[in-house]
Amino acid sequence: MVSAYTPPVQTLIDELGRLPGIGPKSAQRIAFHLLKLPSADVARLAHAINDAKDKVRFCERCFNVAEGALCPICADDRRDATVVCVVEESRDIVALERTGEFRGRYHVLLGAMNPLEGIGPEQLKIRELLTRIDAEGITEVILCTNPNTEGEVTAMYLARQLQPLGLTVTRIASGLPVGGDLEYADELTLGRALEGRRPVDDG
Amino acid sequence: MSELYRDSGVVLRTYKLREADRIVVLLTAANGKVRAVAKGVRKTRSKFGARLEPMSHVRVLLVRGRELDIVSQAESVEPLSPMLSSLDRASQGLAVLEAAEQLSLEREPNPDLYRMVVGAMRAIAERPAPLTVAGFYWKLLASEGMRPELDMCVRCGGTEPEVAFVAFDLGEGGVLCRSCRSGHPMSAEALEAVRDILGGRLAKALAMEESAVTHEVSLLATHALEYHVERRMRTVAMFE
Ligand SMILES: [Zn+2]
Ligand SMILES: [Zn+2]
Repeated sequence: MVSAYTPPVQTLIDELGRLPGIGPKSAQRIAFHLLKLPSADVARLAHAINDAKDKVRFCERCFNVAEGALCPICADDRRDATVVCVVEESRDIVALERTGEFRGRYHVLLGAMNPLEGIGPEQLKIRELLTRIDAEGITEVILCTNPNTEGEVTAMYLARQLQPLGLTVTRIASGLPVGGDLEYADELTLGRALEGRRPVDDG
Repeated sequence: MSELYRDSGVVLRTYKLREADRIVVLLTAANGKVRAVAKGVRKTRSKFGARLEPMSHVRVLLVRGRELDIVSQAESVEPLSPMLSSLDRASQGLAVLEAAEQLSLEREPNPDLYRMVVGAMRAIAERPAPLTVAGFYWKLLASEGMRPELDMCVRCGGTEPEVAFVAFDLGEGGVLCRSCRSGHPMSAEALEAVRDILGGRLAKALAMEESAVTHEVSLLATHALEYHVERRMRTVAMFE
């Protein structure tokens, strides 16, 4: 199909269309919105993207977003190093921190297992989690992946890897409605779920 | 313009869309593979709850759209929780979904495929036997018109007991005798198990304990399916 737009416009639409949740129509709408903006506004947006990309990186230990080598949570030595809460994305940490219930550290997998999309253990930060156990003297791992099919599969897979290492492996309680994302849970529900965590039995 | 229709389906996969929505891909009983938007499904108070997760079996009310349909209502036919009660069940369920996704076509009714997927999911929920997925794959191939030849050498036409079958060739679609052998080696026990699966004795195959034979039959089933769809099956390999 021959594009109806000049090459620079088509490239912009294509790049926008690669962003999560943006379909071809939205990409087109955003592209034309950007083209109508004053040059200074566009420059500010481009700068913000580049600046964030340059300054923000992943914590060397837990893969949370960080400005330095370690994220603020890993850098805080008042946090309990023996308990680690495993989450899919950094934004889940924000939700869990709001509950005020958790004083340990985190580990961000940067996704969840999804075989049909080709996302398996190698595509996630699972090996990195396993190497932390001994190095940091971790005695309990709380699996806080999303309460949906991908998250449950990831939690069960992790439990199978972690249990032979002789630690306590727990899953946040089922008070969370299945199907929803952790980031949308209110802090009361999430706090209760964290408190009512139970050992995982590898069925 | 906004045509409503009802159907039953198994959720094959989902994609995130915008803030809190998902695209749900369903294998339906009467409409083949259907792609539909479920609004607000990622919110924890969504009216859809866990009913539109991969492996969910639902009755749905859909609004027909130009590219994507919209899920208006969804009620559970079978609970999802047994499928998520163990890693074996979940990984077997996903292996079934992956094959179904490969073999289903959008808006092309394939009630046999739907029935087979529902049957396999029920069997897995009850007991994830070592040969459940292989049994499903072999039966799937047979229903796609790729029933393998198991009783006659595909090259020389020899039959038992004059010749013994020692190999299975994916390209030729059947067993071979010692002098004609090519493709994958096949033990007599594995041949027996595939004959059980395709000969109306599935229960016997599903009663087998995990062993070198069940591994052989599973591997061959995966290779045969991959040969047919010309694509790697990722789920089985991921949980080995
Ligand atoms: Zn960190
Ligand atoms: Zn022969």
